[in-house]
Amino acid sequence: MSVAPLITFKAGKCEVDESTGKVRPQPTPGYVYLYSEEDLMHFCWRPRSASLDEPEDDLIMFPSDGSFTPYQKKQVNGRIFVLKFSSSSQRHLYWLQSKSQSANGDPSHFSSRDLKIGQVVNSLLQGEEVDVQQAVAEMRSGHPPNDDDDATMEDVEGQGDGGAGPGATGGDIRDEGEGAREGGADGGRASGGAMDAQSIIQNFIRSMPGSAGGQGGQGQQQKLFTTLQDLLTSASTVAWVDAASESTVDEALQFLPPNLASLAKDDDDDSATTILDLNQKRDLIKRVLRSPQFSQSLASLTFALRDGGLPSIGEALNVPLQNGGYMRRGGVPLGGGEAVEAFLKGVQDLVKGDGDEDDKMETS
Amino acid sequence: MAEDAAGWSTIESDEGVFTALIEQLGVQDVQFEEIISLDAESIRALSPVYGVIFLFKYLSPTSTDRSKPQDGTYDTQTVEDDGLFFAAQTIQNACGTQAILSVILNNDTTSNPSSSGGDGSHDRIKIGPSLSEFKEFTTGFPSDLRGEALSNSQMIRETHNSFARSSPFADETQKDPTQLSDEVYHFIGYTTHHGKLFELDGLQPYPISHGYCTPESFPEKIIPVLQRRIERYPADEVRFNLMAVCGDLRKKAELFGDDSMLEREKRKRKAWEWENSLRRHNFVGFTGEVLKGVVAEMIKKGKYEGWVKEAEDSTRKKLEQRRSRGLAEEQLQE
Repeated sequence: MSVAPLITFKAGKCEVDESTGKVRPQPTPGYVYLYSEEDLMHFCWRPRSASLDEPEDDLIMFPSDGSFTPYQKKQVNGRIFVLKFSSSSQRHLYWLQSKSQSANGDPSHFSSRDLKIGQVVNSLLQGEEVDVQQAVAEMRSGHPPNDDDDATMEDVEGQGDGGAGPGATGGDIRDEGEGAREGGADGGRASGGAMDAQSIIQNFIRSMPGSAGGQGGQGQQQKLFTTLQDLLTSASTVAWVDAASESTVDEALQFLPPNLASLAKDDDDDSATTILDLNQKRDLIKRVLRSPQFSQSLASLTFALRDGGLPSIGEALNVPLQNGGYMRRGGVPLGGGEAVEAFLKGVQDLVKGDGDEDDKMETS
Repeated sequence: MAEDAAGWSTIESDEGVFTALIEQLGVQDVQFEEIISLDAESIRALSPVYGVIFLFKYLSPTSTDRSKPQDGTYDTQTVEDDGLFFAAQTIQNACGTQAILSVILNNDTTSNPSSSGGDGSHDRIKIGPSLSEFKEFTTGFPSDLRGEALSNSQMIRETHNSFARSSPFADETQKDPTQLSDEVYHFIGYTTHHGKLFELDGLQPYPISHGYCTPESFPEKIIPVLQRRIERYPADEVRFNLMAVCGDLRKKAELFGDDSMLEREKRKRKAWEWENSLRRHNFVGFTGEVLKGVVAEMIKKGKYEGWVKEAEDSTRKKLEQRRSRGLAEEQLQE
């Protein structure tokens, strides 16, 4: 598999002194480049002397987790972009090493071409389809007058059909080994079943937005949303059971073990067929809803939804899901809070679509 | 499908689970009863008592001296000489079932009687054909081979796994993500055999003898042994679980003509059956029905948005609490 960068541009890294807030650009000439592998976007930086498959930074970016925007907070004497994550407070700063197009010699001035680079990268990070060729062509054609843009033609390379074009930015596109797939320390998705329970919980906590000490790229989705346990409170479920018709109650009982009815009765009637009246049926359901076994299963099911189980669970329950529960670009299931939200939305659609099973119509 | 000896799930340490487990293995008229207070009378009241199962958080041994245990003495001869059933533990998740079998299979109808000329009314356990076959098959095996045979026993493993928490994951051996603790818990069994009190711990090289003991004196003799065991842990460590392996208490109630006790025990059994039914049940379908119903109800009442918002707030709060605790723990570990 070859690393075929979607976009490459000259940039250097910056160090940020957290205590003083000082931004120190590193002099090493380098490239920022993005490539996509198995529907995951990689944000990379390498020194210009290194080859494509030896990046110093290789961050695996989940769609909409990262953003790439001009860094305009402090007095700086260069054009700096910041790569931020919604899942953690981590950020990386890069400075454009291409020739400044500023008319008045202001080194921190972002030209329209500079901004366009940022926009293209940002769009790619959002998971949007970007015609990079087109964008790069626009950058090249839209040069301001009086500017020598020879240097800039080399600065930005978009992916063409034949790989890098003339004046390509060095580094051959070779077949990459497994090594390039490894995210750096910052990247890497939390792996699934191999971890012990404690690590799973820790990663669960770390993957939540706003979680300090989280690693960039390890965050799954933006939204925390909620859990099935927190939605299906006893208040909400009891309200449903008490208002449900007998046919709805019977329908629900179909999904419980059949011997519960005889176990629920207080007397010693061990007969195989036990008839319960509507109130007894409701009580039985409420008893199940209160049970620790049911609560545990809700926690387990929530975890499964967050962890990539949305498509199969949706299918099992006939819940309509956009893209079948997969992300727009396909192949990867929705995860995290977004998956739970999508699931709930699907149930909502299903319920609305069923029309009025009860005798009352929807009131707004 | 290849048999994988590592395919053992975790099961709850619960009297109802363990009782149903042995019943499914074919054992008759035996149950588990949790011992709340550590005194001889409470244990004697459950007689016939075949042994106890002790569950505790596992600490790595403070001494690496394998020539003697921390308490008691290794008995290197009793397996060979007296036919004591002792198996080395090979699979962590199997250790509950292993401790249970170490008590049951030393008190069954094929076991050697105690040397004190014992109480004739002390019933031997009827273990049924499957376990009899297993015990016979492993007669004469050294402990490590017995352990292998146990962990490779499809019958025992499948019965054990049938009590694992039902999960939406197809692979039931995956660790339960809702379990917050990654601490390792260990089960050991205590029983009398051939006139001595034995501690049967699959992680020890040999059975450990704690001196002379008969089934009749077991309730008294076991107390100081357990107390010394508990004292090895920090004073605030309260996560122990002690269960007696005893005769079916319904039978005892019938024998004594104690109607209220019989009622109590019957109700307890019903509760166990209820819990076990729910434990084995896959709730995905039911959850779908409940969720549909609640969503419909919320929409009908115009409360949908508020309901979701309330749930989101609740989740956020819980997470903040957990995170501050979790990070604090992390920092302590560093």
